[in-house]
Parts: sequence; structure tokens; C-alpha cells
Amino acid sequence: MKPKHLRTFGAAIFILLLLVPVFFKSTFVLHIYTLIFFYIALTAAWNIPAFGGQLSLGHASFFGIGAYTAAILYVKYGVSPWFGLLIAVGVSLLGGVILSLPLIRLRGPFFTLASIAFTEVLRMVAIDWRSMTNGSVGINIPFKPGFKNMTFTSGEPFYYLFLATAVIVVLLTYRIRNSALGFHLRAAASDDEAARALGVNTSLAQFLALMWSAGLTGVLGVFYVFYNYVMEPNTAFSLDLFSLQPALNGIIGGMGTVWGPVIGAVLMTPLGEFLRFYLSTIQQGLHYVVYGLVLILTVKFIPGGILSILEPLISRKKKDRDKPKEKEERS
Amino acid sequence: MSLLKVKNLTKRFGGLVAVNDLSFEVSPGEIVGLIGPNGAGKTTVFNLLSGIHSCDAGSVTLGDREITHLAPHRRSLAGIGRTFQVVRPFEMTVLENVMVPALARNKSVAKARETAFAVLKMMGIENLADALPGNLTLAQRKRIEVARAMATKPRLLLLDEVLAGLNPTEVAENLPLIRQLRDQGATIIFIEHVMAAVMKVSERVLVMAQGALICCGTPSEVTNDECVIKAYLGEEDPECSL
Repeated sequence: MKPKHLRTFGAAIFILLLLVPVFFKSTFVLHIYTLIFFYIALTAAWNIPAFGGQLSLGHASFFGIGAYTAAILYVKYGVSPWFGLLIAVGVSLLGGVILSLPLIRLRGPFFTLASIAFTEVLRMVAIDWRSMTNGSVGINIPFKPGFKNMTFTSGEPFYYLFLATAVIVVLLTYRIRNSALGFHLRAAASDDEAARALGVNTSLAQFLALMWSAGLTGVLGVFYVFYNYVMEPNTAFSLDLFSLQPALNGIIGGMGTVWGPVIGAVLMTPLGEFLRFYLSTIQQGLHYVVYGLVLILTVKFIPGGILSILEPLISRKKKDRDKPKEKEERS
Repeated sequence: MSLLKVKNLTKRFGGLVAVNDLSFEVSPGEIVGLIGPNGAGKTTVFNLLSGIHSCDAGSVTLGDREITHLAPHRRSLAGIGRTFQVVRPFEMTVLENVMVPALARNKSVAKARETAFAVLKMMGIENLADALPGNLTLAQRKRIEVARAMATKPRLLLLDEVLAGLNPTEVAENLPLIRQLRDQGATIIFIEHVMAAVMKVSERVLVMAQGALICCGTPSEVTNDECVIKAYLGEEDPECSL
């Protein structure tokens, strides 16, 4: 397919998705779609540091920080979640700064481990700081419908909100990947030392990538808590839901690419819901076994993710150029 | 005034003194060959100059700026470009590889594309722009390595064995390149084991052995120096002492 056709294809899908709530009234269908959009956005945001080769398993921390900040501001101080969103992003960025301190020295698996520990610390804080977070009971968002309260009587507004967020985040990651920052991250992922010798401040690039990622993940935390009405420490800082799941989606779809997270989230979200539902009747936690198998098979046989199989098929026709002059930017 | 001034540079790795009290200067526009037996510390000198390693003692001055303790990327921005002995292309197209250093200086991707393409053209490899380095020959990958360093617009270019591993035809093809790079405005220090190349291209030769500078002079002076012969071939004249 030529890039122009890809764009038309993308626009067609987008329009179809806009129409889904018009034709499907089932709350379950809407919920699954909303969840897919949520995970597309979450995975795409997680993927920004992955451009620079950093594998984070600590994104639940930014997610939880965002969710808790907005929820506390709303429930305790009556601040509209739309305004709380801005503050939540600020606090998530602050979390990003704190996680960046070890990042200056830690690379590769050491950063990954530090990111897990960071989330655990925050989860403990959320459990023990009862006066603020209500401890392990968690925070309930009172049901007071209205745009100002980000609370709605039907599923459609959140469907559109998450759809828009997913589109914006994916386009943003596309922009980042093809910007100077994106080049610097890809160079750093490939060979950090060589990149530095060429004048690239790789530490700064990794830091900026993490900040973009943390801020966007914080936004998703806010939307998610108002979509679900409840927030407690084990959910907000869930390693499983908001750290492993985006990483899994990203690796299976194609880590460090723009469309990999989309493919990963679209495939894995319904599969995950299905497995969680059916396999838990057999044995609790059995779906993790399936996840593990899928992950091992992916890493073993298609280390570049599903996108690495699809890409040659898509871009084959693009290669029939005679002049090596201007070409479309690849992603 | 000299472009590069290295004074008493020393680097130890545990008990091993890799670079021992090294001092030399390089004038603008010079082409200096850096030779010596294996393990003499040549690449370590490059690592110290480009900031990959930090030195234990001594100082490095580029122009009128002391850069002894500057981070690698800042040294690159200050004007030191280098290639690596083992080529280290990024996993992206050749053009994109050369765009990376350009983007470290100017954030505009379109401009970087132009700069990178111009550098590839200057190096005579613009036909490889869309290729992935993994699919190219060693000679081609070495050219990319040099192109990438040239895209940093270096005042001082450190070439680490850009001819090693090439066949004689490729060496002959690449030889004029070094002069051409100098004509682009870069002062050059190059490490090389292909002696014919060193003799032909360099205006001055520094000889290192066991971390120390043992001789410095024109190619013909150096080849006739007894200490150099000793360093390469072993003891011959018991009177030549170090």
C-alpha cells in the first residue's frame, strides 16, 4: 500500500469507529472498544521511552499518580477533574523526574527493575497515607452526572473521549519519532556511546522521552478513574494492568515503532478480557500462563513484534522508487 | 596557535598505564598519523580526546578552550569528531545515520536531511542513502562511519583505522579521501596500521609504544628512527634506551 492509501485506510477506520456507538447500543461492546482505545493510548505512551530502548515496567506509577491526584482533588476539594487533569499531569511529571534520577545512571534491565520498585513504593504510600488516600479502601467518585464532573449517564462520552485520546497520543508518538528527539532516541537505543560521540545528549533525550510518557500516562489515569468511579491502591498502581499490559502489548505489536502499540493493544485487549473471563472459571490466574506463552513465542520467533512481519508487506510497493531523492518518512 | 594541545595526559586501567604522560600539539590543517604496535594505547588516546574515557591526569585543550572534563557530546559540539575502529552504525538507513549528528546541532529534520545528503554526496555514497548499513560491505560501512563524523562539522577529526580490513583496491580508493576531508576544513589525526597509507598521507607521524610517545616527525624521519624500529621489531641496538 502506498502511504496515501494508508492514510485513506486510517481515515476510513476512524470514521467507522465514530459510528460504532450509533449502531451498537450494547454497553459491553462499547466497554470493550473503550478499553481497546485506552490500551492503545497507554501502550503508545509507554512506547515513547522504548524508542530510546528503555523498557519500563513502572508506568502504573504515573498512571496511579494521575488517577489519585485528580480523584483526591475532586472528592476532597471539589476541583473539577478537567482542571485536576492539569495538576495531575504536573504531579505525574514530577514522578517522572524522580524516576529519572536513577535513570541517569541505570540503563537496560537495571532501569526496568528500578521502575518496578518505584511503583511498589508508591503503592505502599497510597495504602498507608490514609488521611489523603483513604488507605486500601480507596476513593469512590460520587455519581453526579455532568460534563464539569467528567461523569456521564451513558458510555458514549467516554467512548469518544478515549477514542480521541488514542488518536492524539498515537499521532503525537508519530511526531516524536520523526523529530530530532526521535532520531536521538533511536540512535541511543542502537548505540549510546556512538550517539554521544556524535554530539547527542542521550541522557537528556531519555529524560524528555520519559517525561512525555509520564505526562500522557497521568492523563490516562485521570480518565480511567472517572470512567470506573473507584480507585484503590492495588488497582491504581497495579503492575499487572498498567505496567505489564502496555509492555506486553508493545512487545507483541512491535516495541519502539509507532504502529506496534496499536496492533498489540487491538489484539491483546479483547484476548485478555476473554481469557480473564473464561479461564478464571477453571483456575484463577490461568490467563497469565497464556500471556507468558504468547510473550515467549513472540520474543523467540518474532522479536520485532507483529509489525515486523506486516511492514515488509505494506512497504514493498513503496520501494519502487528510481530517484533516491525525497521520500515519505517511514515509521 | 595550535588547534589541539595535549599535556601530560595519563590514563590507568587498574595497574596498567594505558597512556603515560603524553604531550603533543596539532596545528590547524595538519594531517597527523598516529602509529604504534598493538596495545600501544592509540585508541585509548582517541577515547580520552573524545571523552569516552576520562583521564587520570593531564589536560586537553581545543583551540583556546580546555575540554579535559567535558562530556562526550559536548566535545562533539565543541568540534571533535571521531570514528570507531569497529564500525558502529545505528539500526536505521544510511541517510538517517548521518542525520543524527546534524540533528544534534539543528532541530530541523528537513535541514538535517539536506545536510546529511550533502555529506553523503561529498563522500560519494549518496546512492546508499536508503540502504540499511547491515546489508553493506565493510568498506561502505567505514565510509558511513566517516560520513557521520563529518556531519558533525568537526574542527578536529579522529579517524580510528578507517582503512583496516579493506582490500588493496579499497585502500587505494579511500586514500585520497583523507586529504579531501582535510580540504573540507577538518584537522586530522588518524590511527592506521596500513603503513603505506600512513607514509603517503600524513604530514607528521606520532609513534606510541606502551602508552608513551616515543617519536614524532615526518614519515621518513620516523621510519629511520631507531626507537621506532625497536618498538616494532624488538631489540637491535643496545644503546638506544628509553
